[in-house]
This record gives sequence, structure tokens and C-alpha cells, in this order.
Amino acid sequence: MTWYVRLWKFITLAHGSGGKETEELVKNLIVQSVPPELWRVEGGTGLDILDDAALIPAGENRYIAVTVDTYTVKPIFFPGGDLGKLAASGTINDLLMVGAKPLAVLDGVVVEEGFPIEDFKKIMGSFIRTLAEEKVALVGGDFKVMPKGQLDGIVIASMGIGIVEGKPIVDTEIRPGDKIIVSGYLGDHGAAILAAQQSLGVDLGVESDVKPLTRLMLPLLEKYRDSIHGAGDPTRGGLAMLLNNWAEKTKTVIVIDEVKTPVRPQVREYAEMLGVDPFSLASEGAAVLAVEPSRAEEIIEYMHSLGFKEATIIGEVYEPKDPRHAGRVLLKSVAGGVRILEPPSGEIVPRIC
Amino acid sequence: MATARRALRLRVTGIVQGVGFRPFIYRLAVSRGLAGYVLNLGGSEVEIYVEGPPDQLASFIKGLYRERPPPARIEELEIEEAEPQGLGSFTIRKSERRKSKRSMIPPDFGICSDCLHEIHDPSTRFYRYYWNSCAWCGPRFSMMYTVPYDRENTAMKKYPLCTECRRDYEDPANLRRFHAQGISCPKCGPRTYVYTMDGKRLDVPDPVEWAAEKIEEGYILAIKGVGGFHLAALATRDDVVEELRRRKRRPSKPFALMARDCSVVEMIAEPPPGACEVLQSAERPILLLPKRPGSPVSELVAPGLDTIGVMLPYTGFQALLLEQVRDGFLIMTSGNETGYPMCTTLKCVFTHLCGIADYVVAHDREIVHRVDDSVLRYTDGELVFLRRARGYAPMWLYAPAELPEMVAVGAELQTAGAVAFEDKVVPTQYIGDMDEPGQVEELERELRWFVEVYSLKPRIVAMDMHPGYHNRGLAARLAEEYGAELVEVQHHHAHAAAAMLEDRVPPGEEKVAITIDGTGYGVDSTIWGGEVLVASYSSFTRVASLYPFRLPGGDAAAKWPVRALIGLMQASGLDEEEALDVLRRYGLLSRDKLPHGETEARVSYRLAAFGKAPLTTSMGRTLDALAALLRIAWRRDYEGEPAMKLEAAARGGRDHGYTPGLLSLDGRLVVDTPGLLRWVLENIDRLPARDIAVTIQRGLGRALGEAAARAARGLDGPVYISGGAAVNTFIVQGARQVLSDYGLEVRIPRRLPPGDGGVAVGQLLVAAAKLGEI
Ligand SMILES: [Fe+3]
Ligand SMILES: [Mg+2]
Ligand SMILES: [Zn+2]
Ligand SMILES: [Zn+2]
Repeated sequence: MTWYVRLWKFITLAHGSGGKETEELVKNLIVQSVPPELWRVEGGTGLDILDDAALIPAGENRYIAVTVDTYTVKPIFFPGGDLGKLAASGTINDLLMVGAKPLAVLDGVVVEEGFPIEDFKKIMGSFIRTLAEEKVALVGGDFKVMPKGQLDGIVIASMGIGIVEGKPIVDTEIRPGDKIIVSGYLGDHGAAILAAQQSLGVDLGVESDVKPLTRLMLPLLEKYRDSIHGAGDPTRGGLAMLLNNWAEKTKTVIVIDEVKTPVRPQVREYAEMLGVDPFSLASEGAAVLAVEPSRAEEIIEYMHSLGFKEATIIGEVYEPKDPRHAGRVLLKSVAGGVRILEPPSGEIVPRIC
Repeated sequence: MATARRALRLRVTGIVQGVGFRPFIYRLAVSRGLAGYVLNLGGSEVEIYVEGPPDQLASFIKGLYRERPPPARIEELEIEEAEPQGLGSFTIRKSERRKSKRSMIPPDFGICSDCLHEIHDPSTRFYRYYWNSCAWCGPRFSMMYTVPYDRENTAMKKYPLCTECRRDYEDPANLRRFHAQGISCPKCGPRTYVYTMDGKRLDVPDPVEWAAEKIEEGYILAIKGVGGFHLAALATRDDVVEELRRRKRRPSKPFALMARDCSVVEMIAEPPPGACEVLQSAERPILLLPKRPGSPVSELVAPGLDTIGVMLPYTGFQALLLEQVRDGFLIMTSGNETGYPMCTTLKCVFTHLCGIADYVVAHDREIVHRVDDSVLRYTDGELVFLRRARGYAPMWLYAPAELPEMVAVGAELQTAGAVAFEDKVVPTQYIGDMDEPGQVEELERELRWFVEVYSLKPRIVAMDMHPGYHNRGLAARLAEEYGAELVEVQHHHAHAAAAMLEDRVPPGEEKVAITIDGTGYGVDSTIWGGEVLVASYSSFTRVASLYPFRLPGGDAAAKWPVRALIGLMQASGLDEEEALDVLRRYGLLSRDKLPHGETEARVSYRLAAFGKAPLTTSMGRTLDALAALLRIAWRRDYEGEPAMKLEAAARGGRDHGYTPGLLSLDGRLVVDTPGLLRWVLENIDRLPARDIAVTIQRGLGRALGEAAARAARGLDGPVYISGGAAVNTFIVQGARQVLSDYGLEVRIPRRLPPGDGGVAVGQLLVAAAKLGEI
């Protein structure tokens, strides 16, 4: 067990932040309790890799991809979307990020007694509309109500099923030399939610980017499946968390360039004012790819042609010079110099002396 | 009539090994006509037996202090009468290898006056030899692979002694070279080369002359020294200093100077009495001295400060170089890329300094341990450490009790680690900031080295409580590997313990400590930094603190002091419009002071007002806020910048005697900094800034002193002041003013840095005490 897990006494909000603490909790208190032979289905992937979705072999060069996520957001209706769209998009994107074509979804909805029917209709409406637009079936589900006060509003659990034809995109395939690509502006969702939550009187003018990435990923997979070594959506914990995960899983060093990483000026500014790292803000409609370097430029051009105009190469994967540096993400900063891009922590405590 | 023969047995403890101490004793005894012997006891002790006439014995003892080799230091001297044995001569006896005793690892000494003399004397074979050294001087720790300090165990092993050097080495009558491990000469010693930044070696007849010429032309040179590389450049030309700042991306952090000799120091600074002796000591530290008005030093060397850091040459190369340049002084700042540690290898220079330096001068002796220049300053007239490294590390300090074998990893910024065994604590040399790439690894490497060379089996590993400190993972790994107990220590408790250790406070005793700094994680998960503790090594009570306020954006408020000011105003009861009014009135909404202007000010205020920002009692942030309000500093480009500038701005001011009161909050006393803020706002338009600056800093000191005095009822003094802000002259003066009225003495750490460089030592004591080991 990791040393500081031993210091924990209670579950805190930090454990659910999607940062370092969540990862440690899942690995130490859940994964390690499962017998390793049950971490995955023979020939597939699962808790061993903790990718966006698990893979279950289904014949020659075919896999079934499955994923589940529980969605909760404050406020439920936010600029650019709502909980329903978030749940549907998140599920679809998780399937896409392992190279699957999303097929069907099952949901589990828990609502607090007294929740307005009008809001419920809106949320489920946008959940279903989002699935329908991407031709994803809703094939089953569960519905429960909790007494007032035992739940804050509504929670949606959403499980997705997809099919992989050909090579799945498994993060452990990422290797030194790969170029890191992002599909567009990062952090919009996180910034929009923060602005809505904090109500500090700032008109951010930025909406959540929440959307399914089907129209980006399916054509890309069609054309470049073999050149894409890793794919992920930088949701909770943002780019910082995702790249740290990749670097750690593959024992590599990832170096990205702050100047090249697309973040809207207002988002960066707002993050600076709040004292948070813009790279740890969530995106709900952006993809990060690790691709074969020789194809990187071509892939970028193709992404542009698909309408993702901000797609760009932001960095590269390296062999660590010193094995102790494996798993590290470095950021070439605007000001010059390099800093370690840390996995975000749920607990933000000043360090400067 | 001949007096009776008497005999003495002496035990000398201190720096008495690896510094030519035994040959010195030999010569001293022989010159006094005494018989007997001297031998190394291991540890850091030498035993001397002498017999002869009593008056000669007395003269011998006097000579022991007066004529000792410059780097030798006698910490303890035990003398006992012995029975004369009738020995006929004086001998150096073979060392006794006592297994249990560990030796003090000698630090790096600056070149001695005799060696300097030789390199200036055309008749010696050391004429113009850059790396001349002897038993009294030269590198030690920085070139040691392992213990004991024998040539074979150092980077000098690749330079076999030539015939002449061997002869000197084996000649007991050669006071400075007999058994001196590091000696060499132009024939057998390290060679010096000159390179372009693409790694090409240039053929130059005389590297010193060449380097001096290039520097005078305005180039920036990377020069290899003892514990790392320097960047050397002219300190008198603004364009050169500006270029160096631009290339180093270091807008305002002061650069250290190296001066030819004390007369040059007098020309550029105003050294107080005794400062020259410190500069000339074998430790050869950087000393912060008041600037001399009208000196030729560019204002850009230490912008906004009233002091400059100066050192004297500590290698032959540096001495010759400084003689060669017209100014008589140069910038000699550490050779690192901002955000990285100082380079110790050519490879590092060519990677990290390629956009910074124009040329490189390097010798081919390996630097085994990176050792930065030590930095000292005067605080209320006392010499204190800002950085303890070359010349001092890794000397040990004595603990007030036997300690288990243990390791401490220190704090986060400007930090060092430490190990303990027997009754000793060994702080590592200054390592630096743990958030920079490679620094945790460097700390690990050094700690492991000490564990190995002292053959320790650590039973305890101590670390700070701060969840975000980068060295906690290292502490955990070491604890696991050693099967040791992992202990968390509160930051300010460690500061207090470090000050108490230095003063040999026995375990179990409680003392009052004022611990003031920028940031330390408190047991209530808020950020502490202006605390009065009643502490023993094992536990503490927080009896007083500064008034808590919110830091909008956390560390962002440390980088932009106006944000800390907004937090302090909010805590002081100003509403949003009032706070904005103040900011507007004093021009603090401009983009250079707050990058996003009024929006940022409002966001900051609301973050504080809604409780969405960390709570702090930090002295550093309180000083930052006040420095911003007085328009003395509004950006932090290096640690302590606003506070240092506030201190500088107070020089020559008149103290108006205002002292913030003490309020009661959550069962402790709090210094009424909201009251202090109101006092400043009432007086800012009618008093000179320097009057306000001196009054508020002394006032904070007086208020903490008052709180400490109340806490000290029933306890013996002295009261300790520790933590990074304890080097602030005015705060210390304020505390002294008040506490002296109560008959209490105030002590600041003097052998350890009061700041986070001393935290690891405190961690050792607290961890041992918490586990009931002392
Ligand atoms: Fe501190
Ligand atoms: Mg993936
Ligand atoms: Zn010498
Ligand atoms: Zn020689």
C-alpha cells in the first residue's frame, strides 16, 4: 500500500476530486483487493491498465469495450450543457478513447425526493438526444428515489458498450518518440463550471465544451488506427492528470510546451486569478492523442479538415534519462525554463515560503 | 635551579583531522622542547601527551590556540595532569582505529595565505598554479567519494603525486604538506581548459589572462570552482548585468560579487568591524554587507536592496583572475539555469548554460558533491546563515542527548536534509528547492551518502507535515527500505527544536519560541507562519500567532503581494469597495502589480470573503501585504523578496513606537494586524515610508515579544526566534526591546540557518522525542 494511504482515516472530498488522491484510493483500496486474475477477462484489459474503457475479446481482432461512470455536477444546468449531455458525452467518449465504436448505453438514475419533474425531463431529454444524435441505443436502466436530504439533487450512472474492430487503443502502447496531440482548447468545461459555482461576479464568456467526439474519433480511427498509440479525454484532473497517468503507465517522460497548448485566454486568466493550474481544468469535449511521429503532421491536417481547427502538437514522449524520472511530465513554460507538471491534488495548499 | 618536569594529557575535539593538526602539534611541541606524542582518536578527537618544564607546557597550550592551522577549530579541550614518563622525544603516533567512532567529514576550505603566497612567488614550483592547496586549505567534502579523507577516496586519486609532491607529502617537517591529502603541483595536478559553448576546446596560453580579457570585453563566462560552476561577468557595466539577467531569466534576484581583497570590499560596501575576518576565514562565505553609496557597482546587481553579497577568492584561479581584472571585483553567481541546480559538470554546462554563458573555463577534477557558496548576513548585529554549504557543511553539531540513527528530509524550498547518530546531527549542505527537477534526487543522493559513509541503520525517518512537499515520497521510500518509523513533524515545531538544539536545551525542558516564516503546514490544516510556541522537543502548544487572513489563490498571493494585501484588508473588515478604494488610491491596480487589474482584485476579495481561499497566519505574507501597500514591492521573483525590500526600506527610518495589540482567538493570543493595517492607512499619507516600514516591523516584533513574554511566565529564558523571517533585523530588535524588559534574552540560531535550511535538524530532534527515544 502506498505510504500515505496509511495516513488516511476518512474519505474526504479530495478523494473524489479525480486527482492524485482518487487514483491512490482506487489503486490501493479497490484494485489491490481484487485477485489479479480477475482484473480483466482473459485476453482483454481491465483494472490492470485502468484505461478509459475495459476490453473483452470477442473473436479474431474484435473486442467489446465497456465503461461506467457516475455523473454529478453543480450546477446541473451550466453554460454549454447540463448533466444529461455530460453523462451521455462522457460515456461515448470513454468508448471512443479505446478505439471502439459506441453501440449502446444503460443508465442508473438516482433522484432526490422533491426534485422538479421539469428539470428531470430536461436532463433525461438531453441525455437521450445526445445518444440519439450519435446513433447510440439506450438499452436498459434503473431508476430510484432517495428521501429528501439523503442525496443532493440527481446522480446519473451511465454504462456504455462499444465494439472494437481491429487494434484497440491501449495507453500502454505509448512509446518514446510519440507526439502528443490535443484536439482543441482545453479546460473550457472546468472553467465554466468553476465560474458558475464560485459566482465571483466574473462574466467568463466561456461555455463548457461538453460534446461527444464521435465525429472526430471515428474518422480518425478509420484512417489512422495503427498510428494512434494512445487516446484519452482530459476530464477530471485535466491534461495534467491524463499525461501523468500516461507517463506513469509507460515509464516515460512526457514534455509539453505551454505556448503550444491551446487554452483560451479568458480561461487562462480566470485560472490565474483563482490560483489554479489551467492544465488541471477538465475538458468534456477534447481528445488527447499519442501518435506515431512520422504521421503526426498528417493527422493534424486531417483533424483540421474534420473541423477541429485548434488541433495541434503540444509535446513528445521521451525515454527517461534517469530511471527515477520515469512517470514525470515536464512543461516548458511561457516564461522559459521547465517545471514539473504535477498530477493535480484535491487538496490545494500553499507551498511558497 | 631546574623546575620539576610535569606532564599533561590533552583531548582536543573539533576540526582537528584533515587540516594538518598533528604536524602542527609536532612542531609546536618540538619548538617548546617538549617530549610526548600526538594521535588521532577517530571521531573528531586528537589525543596529545606532552611532558617538560611547566612554563613550556603553558606556552604550548597558548600556542595551541594562537598558532593553530587556520581551518582547525578547537571545540573542546580537556586537560589533565599525568605522571611524567620520561620520554626523550615527540612523535606522531599511528592513528588508532576505533571502530565505533565516526569522524567528522572536513568541509571545503578556501585557499590559505601561504598557498597564495606560493602562487605569487616565481621561485616556488607552485608559481601561478591555480589549484595549489595544502593541509590548511583546499577542497575536501566536495571531492570525497567516501571516508576516511585519504587521497585514494577523493577525486584527487586520478592525479598521482609527482616526485617533489611525494617528497613533501612524506616529510614530517613539512608543516603544510606532510600527509596533506589534496596537494598537487603544475606537474601532477588538475589541468585547466577553455571551451566554447559548442564544446570545442580552445588553445590558450594562459587561461586566467584569457578569461580576464574576455570578461573585460563584456562576455559571460562559466568557471568551474570547488563545489560547482560560477557565472562570471563584469559588475560595473549595466548592459552586461542586464544581459546576464535577460539570459538567466532572473529579473531581480541579487547576484553575488567576488572581490580581490578587503580593500576592494571597502570600496564597494560598508563592512562592519569584524566582517573582513569573516570574509577571509577559511570558510570564505558570501557575506551580505551594506552597499557603499556611490560605489561603481551597477545598481542592477542587487536592485532595490541596501546590501550586496560579497565573497573573497577561495581558489588560486579566482585569486589570480580577480587580480587581473581592472575593477577588482566581478559578479560570481552560481552557474545554473533558473529552475535548475548549479552545474557541476561540463555536460550540464553545455546543456543548461548554453544560452547563458559565452565561454567555459574548467579544470578536470571531478566535483563529487555539489556544494553551493554559503551565505551569511547580519541580523541586529549578529552573523546568521542564509545558506549553509561550502566551508561549513558537512560539519556536525552536538545534540543535547544520544539520538537513534535517523534521517530527516527537511522542508520544501531552500532546504537541506540531515542525519543523526550518537550525540551528533549532520545537516547536509544546502540542496535547494524541492520543486525543481532533480533536487529530490540530489537530496536522496546526499542523504544516502551520509547513511553509507557513517554506516547508519536509520530507525526513524522524519518529514514535514505538509501534504504537498516533494520530499515526502522520498521519506516514505527510505523508511520502507530501512524498515524505519516514518514520523511527521510540524514545520514550526521543527524550527523551534532546531534553535533549541543549537543551544543544547535538554530533552523534556520547555522553552518559548517565536517561529516566523512564509509557510508551514499547521496541525489545523491552515498555513502557519507567525507563531509563538511553548515547545519541548516532544510537543508544543501554539500560544499566539498573527491574525489569520485568507490568501486569495494560495501561492498566487505569494507571487503577487497585492493579493495578500487584499486578503489582509478583507480580514481587517474593509468591505470590497473600501478595499478597492485603497488599491486605487495607491496605484496598486496597475498591471505590473496585479496582472488582471480590477477584476483580479474583486475576484481576490470575494475568494477571501466567501472563505474560498486558504487561511494563514504567515509572517511572510503579512510583510508582503504591507510591502505592497507601501509600494515597496509588488512582485516576488525570489524567496523573501518583498520582505527583504521592506527591511531595506526601513533603514534610517524613525520608529514611531506603535505596537499592535494582542487579541484573543480560539484560545490563543493573536497579534492585531488589522489594527496595524489601520495604523498604516492612517499614517501613510503623512509619514515617510521608511518611518512606517521601521515602525511596523519593530511593532510586529514587539507584539510577538509581548506574547512570548506572557507565555514565558514560569519558564526559564532565553526566548528563541527561528524561521526564515527571524533574520529580519527590525523584528528581532522589536522582540528584544520588549523581552529585555522582562529580563528575557532573545537568541537566533547562529550555527544553523534560522530558515528552512535548519528544519531537518529540528525534525530529527522532534521525531526522536515523539517516539520517546530522548
Ligand atoms: Fe519555515
Ligand atoms: Mg485511452
Ligand atoms: Zn594552503
Ligand atoms: Zn606535484
